[in-house]
Amino acid sequence: MKAMSERSLSLVLPLASAAAIAVAWQLAVQLGEIPEVILPAPSSITENLLRSLPSLLHQASVTGREALAAFALAVAAGFLGAAAISSSKILREIVYPAIVTLQLIPKVALAPLFVVFLGIDHEARITFAALLSFFPVLISTAVGLANTDLSALWLCQSLGASTWRTFWSVRVPFALPHFFSGVRISSTMAVTGVVIAEFISAREGLGFAILAAGARSQTAGAFAAIALLCVLGLALYGAVAGLERLAIRWYRG
Amino acid sequence: MTILPFAADSSVAAAAAGTPAARAGRWLRWPALRPVLLPLSFAAAWLGAWQWGVDRFPQTRSLLASPSEIGAILGENMPLLFPHLASTARETVMGFALAAVIGMLLGAAITQSRRLEQALFPHLVLFQIVPKIALAPLFVIWFGVGSESRLIFALFLSFFPIAAATAGGLARTKPEALRLCAALTASSWRTFISVRVPFAIPSIFAGLKMGMTMALIGTIVGEFVTGQQGLGYIIMFAAASADSALTFAALALLCVVGLAVYGAVVVAETVAQRWYGAPFVTEGFN
Repeated sequence: MKAMSERSLSLVLPLASAAAIAVAWQLAVQLGEIPEVILPAPSSITENLLRSLPSLLHQASVTGREALAAFALAVAAGFLGAAAISSSKILREIVYPAIVTLQLIPKVALAPLFVVFLGIDHEARITFAALLSFFPVLISTAVGLANTDLSALWLCQSLGASTWRTFWSVRVPFALPHFFSGVRISSTMAVTGVVIAEFISAREGLGFAILAAGARSQTAGAFAAIALLCVLGLALYGAVAGLERLAIRWYRG
Repeated sequence: MTILPFAADSSVAAAAAGTPAARAGRWLRWPALRPVLLPLSFAAAWLGAWQWGVDRFPQTRSLLASPSEIGAILGENMPLLFPHLASTARETVMGFALAAVIGMLLGAAITQSRRLEQALFPHLVLFQIVPKIALAPLFVIWFGVGSESRLIFALFLSFFPIAAATAGGLARTKPEALRLCAALTASSWRTFISVRVPFAIPSIFAGLKMGMTMALIGTIVGEFVTGQQGLGYIIMFAAASADSALTFAALALLCVVGLAVYGAVVVAETVAQRWYGAPFVTEGFN
């Protein structure tokens, strides 16, 4: 035991604690005779997940596609917006306070309006989730673009580099860590946004499945859908983290 | 003889009166006021365009009420809206307060042991990433559709960023400072209070700000799902009956709540920084 390295411990301990929590949960439910409606045991959630996997996978594909579309829209719009803001001082002074204020107010509350404006189909949910995940990208990219090393910019100027060239070869690489920290937050917001929109309007998707199972007191079914949703969220986040590593390595040559 | 001092006095007074006036004149100059005037005029132009657009195309009124209509509805329905405003604010603030206490205590507790931190910190981070909002329907099963249910959901969402930021901040104390404490044979309690906590203040407040945002989101989503009371319920109800003026009125009140509770955390942060007397810099936005 003592021979275990610090590195392997930091891998083993979280897994062991997760397993311990699962076992304690299972035992508590079985020995405490907690009703299935209140808290289903991990075993019954797994059983439910396996039994309804085909239909749940279909719901997950709906939610996943909407979240991906919203995420892509938000990242593209956020990056372009940040580039526009950082290109003009007067634009920055006009728009920036409005953006920071919008970041603080609870945009989640706008969900019902999107149903009124755009109906109860995909577009409404994608637009709502895109709006939620747009701001983190916009703000962190704008901060990153504004924080470029001044000496690097002076060097560009004295070398006679064009504004366009300076933007792509100097400002963007400097902003990359900030950009990705915004994109990571935005990936979690995209999934959250789609789920909230599904609570309000959808007839399919994992958010709808959770709400429907909850309303019918099928708690195990709700947990199964939540588990799949967690996998979806983690997969998107993991993909972004992987891309971040690639992009930073690529830019460092 | 008697006039001279008077004259001198009056010129001094004139000079004294002139200086602030001159200073005010400098302040009123365009570049100094630009950061205030530009956003305000942008907002005013936005509102003006909105009002003009709705007046010009009245058929959009059921989708988008004009600012003046929203203001009128807000004034008329204040007695109706106020209990909902109070309910949303109360659930958000109490959920946040409980989450702050529990989150900071637990965050501090797991950093007391290196092994405990290794075992539990990854779970805190993982819970930050997964869409916890999806649990809202389960809270209805567990705690019903009342106020407590929404409060506990707000607490649940608000807890994770606070606990993770506290644990992360406490764990990232500068090693040199800790070595100095060890060299000075400071007790571990003393080290915690005088060194670890001050170092963690920026991170803790970043977590608290995130937590406050999440508490409000939790309350609103709870109101959507339970559909009993609160501004979220009013928004959903008014939007479903195509009453766009009432929807926007409730949204405006919700923005006030959001800015007020966030502002309270910012004020607390300023006080804490003043108290610890160091120019701490909070990381990032939020």
